[in-house]
Amino acid sequence: MMDADLLKNLPPAEAERVLALGKRVLLTAGAELFHLGDAAGCLYLVARGRIRLTLPMQVRNQEENILVEELSSGQTVGWSALTPPYRFTLTATAPLETEVIALDREALNAYFAAHPDTGYAVSLNLASVIGQRLQLFQAMWLREIQRMVELRCA
Amino acid sequence: MEMLLMGAALAMFGLAVSCLAFGAATREEPATEKEMVKGAAVNARFFAAAPVLPVAAHNRVPIEALLLQIENHVRLEQAAAACFLESPSATVLHGRTISPLVN
Repeated sequence: MMDADLLKNLPPAEAERVLALGKRVLLTAGAELFHLGDAAGCLYLVARGRIRLTLPMQVRNQEENILVEELSSGQTVGWSALTPPYRFTLTATAPLETEVIALDREALNAYFAAHPDTGYAVSLNLASVIGQRLQLFQAMWLREIQRMVELRCA
Repeated sequence: MEMLLMGAALAMFGLAVSCLAFGAATREEPATEKEMVKGAAVNARFFAAAPVLPVAAHNRVPIEALLLQIENHVRLEQAAAACFLESPSATVLHGRTISPLVN
């Protein structure tokens, strides 16, 4: 877990201390980690296995959870825990047996207040993760717009 | 004199009968509500005739297969977007995938 995207550029001992704030959660195959709209109190690091992030969509008049993103070991899930209004905007499930480290928001905030250098480094890492995903979905969105224009305005 | 009055009376009666007959022949029936709704529906269809797939064709692909196609499409789109982030250019941004949902 030392190479987790959230802990990049932290000295190993400091990364260990941040990880020690969390607790390991084991998910069986098919188990739900959090549900769309739930209160978001924890940020999660995927220790092993996979997490599927889904959103509901109407397919043939029935609601289906459609894959939005799939995350694997070392990746961060659930930044909604760090940004108001602290509600999950996706549903997260484990397609196979998966282990995550749950980092409580209050514990993280208290630790970062006491160790601002660590807080700064983790915030930069988080900004980088969010920025990359924003760019990814921005490109996907534009590709869909392009197709819509080709279909409707040709 | 009597003959003249009788003739005038008969002429007036004939004129009245002719007027009633003309009025009955040219009067328009007020449209019933049902007919008006029917007319509106016909007009709407004229401009918005959506192609309706036969039920058999619509359900030809099982929903499980359709969901897999959607998931595959999402993965391919993410891969295409990731390629764009690695080497940003208009050509890479709009590169085609093999997803059956867009081909």
